[in-house]
Amino acid sequence: MNVTGIIFTNDASLGELTNKRTSGSIPFGGRYRQIDWALSNMSCAGIRHIGIISRHSYQSLMHHVGDGEEWGLELEEGGLEFLTPYATNTTDKYRGKLESVYNAMDFLEFSDEADDDDLVVMTDSAVLANVDLKAVIDAHIASGKQVTVVTKAGIANGEKKLDLALKLDENGEVADMVVDYVASDDYVASMDIFVLNKKKLIKWVKDMVARDKYHMDRDLVMGGWRRGQIGVNVYPFEGVALFNESVEEYFANSLSLIKKDVRHDIFNGRHPVYTKVRDRVPTYYGEDCDIENSLIADGCMLDGEVEDSVLFRQVTIEKDAEVENCIIMNDSVVGEGAELKYVILDKNVTVTPGAKLIGTKKNPIIVKRGETV
Amino acid sequence: MYFQKKRVIAMLLAGGQGSRLHVLTRKTAKPAVPFGGKYRIIDFPLSNCVNSGIDTVGILTQYQPLELNEYIGNGQPWGLNKTHSCAQVLPPYERNDKKSGWFEGTANAIYKNIDFVDRFDPDYVVILSGDHIYKMDYNAMVEYHVAHNAACTIAVRNVPLAEASRFGILNTNPDNSIYEFEEKPAKPKSTNASMGIYCFSWSVLREALIADEEDPNSSKDFGKNIIPNLLNAGHKMMAYNFDGYWKDVGTIDSLWEANMETLGKNPEFDLRGGKRETIYARNSALPSSYIDEDAKIVNSFVAEGCEVYGKVLHSVISVGCTIGEDAVVEDSVVMPGVVIESGAIVRHAILGEDSKVCKNAVVGGAFAEDEKKKISVTSKGAVVEANTVLLPGDML
Repeated sequence: MNVTGIIFTNDASLGELTNKRTSGSIPFGGRYRQIDWALSNMSCAGIRHIGIISRHSYQSLMHHVGDGEEWGLELEEGGLEFLTPYATNTTDKYRGKLESVYNAMDFLEFSDEADDDDLVVMTDSAVLANVDLKAVIDAHIASGKQVTVVTKAGIANGEKKLDLALKLDENGEVADMVVDYVASDDYVASMDIFVLNKKKLIKWVKDMVARDKYHMDRDLVMGGWRRGQIGVNVYPFEGVALFNESVEEYFANSLSLIKKDVRHDIFNGRHPVYTKVRDRVPTYYGEDCDIENSLIADGCMLDGEVEDSVLFRQVTIEKDAEVENCIIMNDSVVGEGAELKYVILDKNVTVTPGAKLIGTKKNPIIVKRGETV
Repeated sequence: MYFQKKRVIAMLLAGGQGSRLHVLTRKTAKPAVPFGGKYRIIDFPLSNCVNSGIDTVGILTQYQPLELNEYIGNGQPWGLNKTHSCAQVLPPYERNDKKSGWFEGTANAIYKNIDFVDRFDPDYVVILSGDHIYKMDYNAMVEYHVAHNAACTIAVRNVPLAEASRFGILNTNPDNSIYEFEEKPAKPKSTNASMGIYCFSWSVLREALIADEEDPNSSKDFGKNIIPNLLNAGHKMMAYNFDGYWKDVGTIDSLWEANMETLGKNPEFDLRGGKRETIYARNSALPSSYIDEDAKIVNSFVAEGCEVYGKVLHSVISVGCTIGEDAVVEDSVVMPGVVIESGAIVRHAILGEDSKVCKNAVVGGAFAEDEKKKISVTSKGAVVEANTVLLPGDML
């Protein structure tokens, strides 16, 4: 049995944060990019043939992932492949996941013809979780169903619109399925992690795209299930799952890492999370700094006050600056005496001395990459 | 097999025991001893090589090489794993000629690896050691060597006269050429101390190594034999002045001091630095550090993967450490993976890798002025039990 991985990277739009990057390359948790969870989950489950599907703005993603060395994926055979729209003959951007998989058929059909028991694991990069995919694969095989979907309880709340939500009966079997719908709290949310038989996936994709069906959740999973053609197995995930599908969620989830149980589960619940190595010095805490309840990456120079915040690599907080409930990305500088509350500073931002930026929990101020305020 | 000719290669002597580091090198070679929060001593010469454009480094190991070999691996963290670059670990080995067996001295170690050096057909060989903390452009030294048409160039630094008798002292002419070398002289004539960094023209060194092996009384050492022999034979030897930060971290005191000298706004030794000054290290896959609301950190380095709940003052905290609630760490070097439990006090100490200070234990003290100099040390994996005391200057 061979397992092939597919990671989708343009699955959520987070305003300014995805202006020039994929959701996979959004910085998260101080020293990571969102795709690190999908890559680490796959790598730690022994998946050695992974395709990364990107529709647009994938330069930062390619730069981050490189040849996959940090994830142990720089291999002679298999390893990583970028599946971008212009990599094949098609000149159109993808309308949906099925279409993008269709266009990446060469990747799926690479080398020999698939064996009957070969599997494909598909994940997104907007839902972050430290998942043991080996256990998911084992559960999929044991279920005898055609598709396994990993779900999380407690996400559906009657307010959040979900890509795919499922209602289970008392035996854990699927009783209802909805797509792009504000489901009530008796539904479980799909974490956009699927396990499928490779040969069947190839056939389904070809059949559906031929009929102008290109939506993975709607046409393949829900459609197949409703038609009685596809048996769907549910794998309930018990750990922490962070759905970063809006700026508000991204902001709240980033700050939730300060909580010990969230932090320990997401970073090291089942295996380490790997990321691109940067050779930065340790963080230096100066004579006058006051750091409380925060997550601090390497290479920072801290002289001011930081509370309930996440600081990325090589951030400078000058004397008498006050930073509260903020996310400050790589290489940004907060000048002397500046005051920041509920702010996301993208990479390389300079906050001039004395500046004052006050956002709110629901609407944090986002300062674009490289700007000076 | 094809080996690209190299103008310069480096040979790094990393086989010494480092016995003056006592418990810290009980199970580890000195070059593998952690430094500065996320580095190991060997990262400094290795990174200097890379930053100087030297992409071929032979690393001679002998004493407790397991951890060191694992750390160096294929040289990937320093970018020395490419098609035409290498970081090759060279342990002693058996063969059916004189080059068989243990390294019997610094010169003997290179002699036994003449075949390795010959593969690259280098014009110059830079000899380095694995126990110094410094940033240096070796290429500038090689260019100096070439410009002066020397057979051997030795990096020197000015030391206080009172300390000069601890070093190999080079007495030079006004043009910086060396006329005399004295190993640890009782009455030093100058303060030009050898830093143990040599640049040789390979043809000259190769010949000198072979000749030295023929001498039954030789201790097969660069300082004691090779350098004096070359001088006596009339070769041109130059002193290369280096006035940047440099520290031999061969003792507990100097290792502690060097760590402390990385701290401050304008530290004596700046771990940061410009483009060609980055120190590379093998990175661990650890998340950012968590600093609790009751934590207090002043004038300290804290590397990644730490959880700090207590107080850290003027200290270096390495990757993956936990500092518990109400614990106090002051004037200390805390190596990777150390756990300091709640209420413990650590002052003026070096805590070895993965060691543990249990609840309310006390390590070191430095309460009275005369105790200031005594550093307490825990070895790798040692446990200071709850409510016990490790006295100033004691080792566990």
